[in-house]
Order: sequence, then structure tokens, then C-alpha cells
Amino acid sequence: MDATTVIAVICSVVVFAGWLVLPHSATTVKPVVIEEREPVRVSA
Amino acid sequence: MKIDSGDTAWVLASAALVMLMTPALGFFYGGLVRRKNVLSTIMHSFFILCLISVQWVLWGYSLAFGPDKGHIIGGLEWVGLNNVGFTPNADYAPTIPHQAFMLFQMMFAVITPALISGAFAERQRFKAFVLFSLLWATFVYDPIAHWVWGAGGWLHNLGALDFAGGTVVHISSGVSALVAALVLGRRLGFGKRKVEPHDATMVVLGAALLWFGWFGFNAGSALGAGALATSAFVVTNTAAAMAALTWMTVSWWHKKQPSVIGAAAGAVAGLVAITPASGFVNVMGAIVIGFGAGVVCYLAIQLRERIKVDDALDVWAVHGIGGTWGALATGLFATVAINSAAANGLFYGNPRQALVQLVAIGASWGWSIVGTFAILKFVNLIVPLRVHEDEEVIGLDLSQHGEPAYATINAN
Repeated sequence: MDATTVIAVICSVVVFAGWLVLPHSATTVKPVVIEEREPVRVSA
Repeated sequence: MKIDSGDTAWVLASAALVMLMTPALGFFYGGLVRRKNVLSTIMHSFFILCLISVQWVLWGYSLAFGPDKGHIIGGLEWVGLNNVGFTPNADYAPTIPHQAFMLFQMMFAVITPALISGAFAERQRFKAFVLFSLLWATFVYDPIAHWVWGAGGWLHNLGALDFAGGTVVHISSGVSALVAALVLGRRLGFGKRKVEPHDATMVVLGAALLWFGWFGFNAGSALGAGALATSAFVVTNTAAAMAALTWMTVSWWHKKQPSVIGAAAGAVAGLVAITPASGFVNVMGAIVIGFGAGVVCYLAIQLRERIKVDDALDVWAVHGIGGTWGALATGLFATVAINSAAANGLFYGNPRQALVQLVAIGASWGWSIVGTFAILKFVNLIVPLRVHEDEEVIGLDLSQHGEPAYATINAN
């Protein structure tokens, strides 16, 4: 196994293992700030 | 030289794939801005497709790939595609018509200034954007393309490896984006109110289309339909996927939730980073490059936020830093087992290649900074770079183009 392969395996383990241990926080709804003009109204 | 129909078909199809990337970029960027600026943002990409398509056939291709002048720039012998016909050019692509190569390269020249537009989104005057893009393509992109890819270019002669545009496309656009963000200044209200992307679905769709087009970008750069194109295709997909996984992991750890837009941005970062390496590294190298892209580009965004630079859509972090990482990684992981016409990198016993890559990175950064700064200052003398404050408040869609992106239907 060459050095590139060793590093690639380590990177993959870090990522895949990371997904197993990462916590998932309860959803917190972020307020979206609307800071725009009113949409233009077009007659149908 | 005999034209190969398979190679020609692949390069023409790849040119079409790369063409699609520019409007895809418009949708990727368009989803990230506020709804009052979405049309103007998409227009940046769409307009550049038109502008540079004409610039390229008139003089851009000649400056980038024409007969070498002092290892710095191409001559004017190919202006208006004079002497650029259907006979293959042995220096660039010996099995396809010269015009097919020219067309493929045109699409790279098109998307590069379009990438910069993400930095000055939501505040640049359209007329200034047009003038800047034309000058930037001529005085920044064309020379760097000649240095790296042109026959006789000094970085080409030095042995710099850039398969599909890590230095030429991504470092040049990403670094120029940083300069543009600094020169234009921050958007109104920057740092006081969080600006949310107005349409995350558009962002993901744009990223997916970019990913699709990138197969033409990288695998098409083999300029033939064969093993090298296949290898480039495989490593491109692998790096994009690995970078998206890595970005999501890092952002999950940092922000406690896996971000959808983060996944899209991570994939783009991986595609950027694998671009210079795609014809030189194996699939293990691609995994490392994708992993690195996911980490360094995410960290670059945190740095950009901390120093309060308003690079609106993080062009510098994704393209400038991702391209730099990719160009350096090419000097680490390149192997002649993939491309016998190239060179080994540091990890395969050739430390010189890493040094050559650093020279190419430094030259691309340097010229992009100097050239972009000078062009912006020049343009500002002719037409103000920024819109007025009231125009910025009502949005660029109405103030610059007189068209809203979304209209509501009046039931009456």
C-alpha cells in the first residue's frame, strides 16, 4: 500500500466514523429576515 | 495528422457540457442571493456566455493559444480565427479539428469571469460588470491561459501541471473575486442582518448541473476518448462526492446539523480541487483531494466571515482556496502511472514537481491580484462600479434590468 492509499483510507475513516458519532440537535427554526420590497403585482 | 471521429465527438460533446456549466452557475448563484437580485445574478452568467463567446473568436483565442511571444502571450496571428481551421494543431490536439479545440477552450474562457460575479453579487452596476468582464478576460485570463497551456508559455515550459484549469480557471477567478469584494466594499447591512439564500432548491439544482458539466470540463480535457478521459471522469466524480461528504461532516460538527446547501457547496469545492489534478492522479489521490477540499474550503469561509470581507457567494473560499489546494495536491499525488506524458509528484518521488506547482500558484495569485485591481480602478474611472444605495435597496433586478424575477398574479 503506497502513501497516497494510506492517507485516503485515513480520510475515509475520519469521514465515515464522523457520521456515526456526530450529534444531531433538535431542529431550531431560524427566523428568516425578510428585508425586501413587496412583490410586484401583475394583473392576470 | 488524421482526424479521429471518436475524439472529435467527445471533445464537441464535452464543449457542450462545459457550456451548460455557465447557466448552471447562474442558477447556483441565483439561488444563493435574495429574490430581489436573482435575475441580475443569473444575467451575469448568461451575458458572459454571449460576451466571451464573441471575444474569444475575435481575439481571446489568439492571445491565449496563438503563436508564442516571449513566453508571456500569444500573438495576433489567429485573430478572428485566421489560420484556425479544421486541420488539427499538433501542439494542442493532434486528432481533432483545430476549431474543435478552440471551441472547447472557449467554454473555459466563458465560465471563468462568470465565477467572479459571485463576489460582487447584489451591488455591481451592470455596465461596469460588462466592461470589467471584457477587460478581465483579455488581460488576466488570456495571459494566464497562455502561461500554463499555450505552446511556449513560461509555466508550461517550467513543467507546471494543470489538467483542466486549477490555476487558469479557479485560482484566477477566486483570487480576483477576493480583490473585487475588497474594492467594491460590503453590501448595505452586511454583518447586521443575516442574508438567507432565497431558493435552496435552485442552489442544489445548479450544483447538480455543474457536477454534470464538470465531466466535460475534466474528462474532456483529455482531448480524446480513451483511458485518460475515463480516469479523469472517475476521479472527478470521486473527489466531488468525497468533498461533499467531508463538508457535511465538518459543518455538522460545527453547526450541529447537516446542511443541504453545504453539501452542494462541498461538491463544488471537490470539483474545483480535482480540476488541475484530474488527468494525473489515481482514485486514492482523488479521495485525499476531495477530503482536503471539504476541510480547507469550509475553513476559508469561516476565515472570510471573521475578517468581514463581503465576497457574497464565497468565490474566493471555494475557487481560490480550492483551486490552490488542487494545484498543490497535483504536485503531491500526480503519478505517471495515470499519465505517462506528465510527471510524478512528491509522494511518488519527485519533490521538484511540488515546487513547480508552488511557482504556478504564486504566479496565478500575483497576476490575478494586480490585474484585477488595476482593471477595477480603470473601470471605476469610466463608470461607477457600484449601484446607488437606493438601487441596491430595491434590488438589481428592477434597478438594472427593469424586470422582477417573480410576479404574483392578481386575482382581480
